[in-house]
Amino acid sequence: MKQKKETMPVLPGTGLKDEDFKKGRVLTTSWNADARYAWDAGVAIGRYLAGLKQGKILGVGCNKCGRVMVPPRIFCEWCFRNIDEWVELKDTGRVNTFSLCYVTWDVKRIKEPQIPAVIEVDGASPGMGIMHLLGEVDPKKVQVGMRVKAVWKPANEREGAITDIKYFKPI
Amino acid sequence: MALKQRIEQVGNVKAWFGELPVESLYTAGVGGEQFFRTLKDEGVFTGTRCEQCGIVYVPGRIFCERCLTKLDRWVKVGSEGTLKSWTVLYLGLDGKPQAEPEIVGLIELDGASTVLVHRLGNIQPAEIRFGMRVKAVLKPKSKREGAITDIRFFEPV
Repeated sequence: MKQKKETMPVLPGTGLKDEDFKKGRVLTTSWNADARYAWDAGVAIGRYLAGLKQGKILGVGCNKCGRVMVPPRIFCEWCFRNIDEWVELKDTGRVNTFSLCYVTWDVKRIKEPQIPAVIEVDGASPGMGIMHLLGEVDPKKVQVGMRVKAVWKPANEREGAITDIKYFKPI
Repeated sequence: MALKQRIEQVGNVKAWFGELPVESLYTAGVGGEQFFRTLKDEGVFTGTRCEQCGIVYVPGRIFCERCLTKLDRWVKVGSEGTLKSWTVLYLGLDGKPQAEPEIVGLIELDGASTVLVHRLGNIQPAEIRFGMRVKAVLKPKSKREGAITDIRFFEPV
């Protein structure tokens, strides 16, 4: 362990490098947190996920503002009252916005981009959409407003998760 | 389902189970490094003394927590000390009953103004008294690695 005063003009401290740890120049204690979690999906998303397992995209309606919302929620955040109904939406829609990602979530470079997009689902109010991936499409040809349809996993592989839809493809 | 039940019985509602990969490598710091090196190599406890406040910190800190003065005067303290408090742990970290209860105490080493948290050994819970004299039982030098576990436990003198 070297005190590198010349490289630390402002704050006192001890600069450490990876090899200082590897070569045991500093005493360390290692610890792996047992960070397991269970995340409760809640009433509305719970029912939404159950719908996905059946191959349905469910939304909720508010009679006051007239909106049909997806993903479902238990109250209308505009009117601040309980939602009135559950409705089955179509599994088609239009691309509201998208991104071409050449880097994965854990920062690995990829040649073929992943294309996350917000899909405005048919049957929901304008601008109401869900985040998902686009597939079976040339990245250069993706456009805002493009019509798309869900590609589902086979029923026996569905588990009540957003990944029960594999991706949306152009129609 | 009541909220408390939902929290305790998450398996009954739609829930996502996962695990966060969290690894940590904790350095002892400048003061801790000095303390643990001396403990490892010499089997001796050391601390730093603040002349202004008359406090001896064990393990040594590099500044005084009261007056913020920089501390660089290292002093040896005893490997024996006084038990200031203790607790008997019948449950383990996993929440399950332990075969033998573990006893954890606060030990003020002779010459120190602060306490160390450590296990007590070779004693039954009923025999413990406030202010009783205890001494450190160290691992053999070859097994010491510069960690708090280089002290196996404190036992009655």
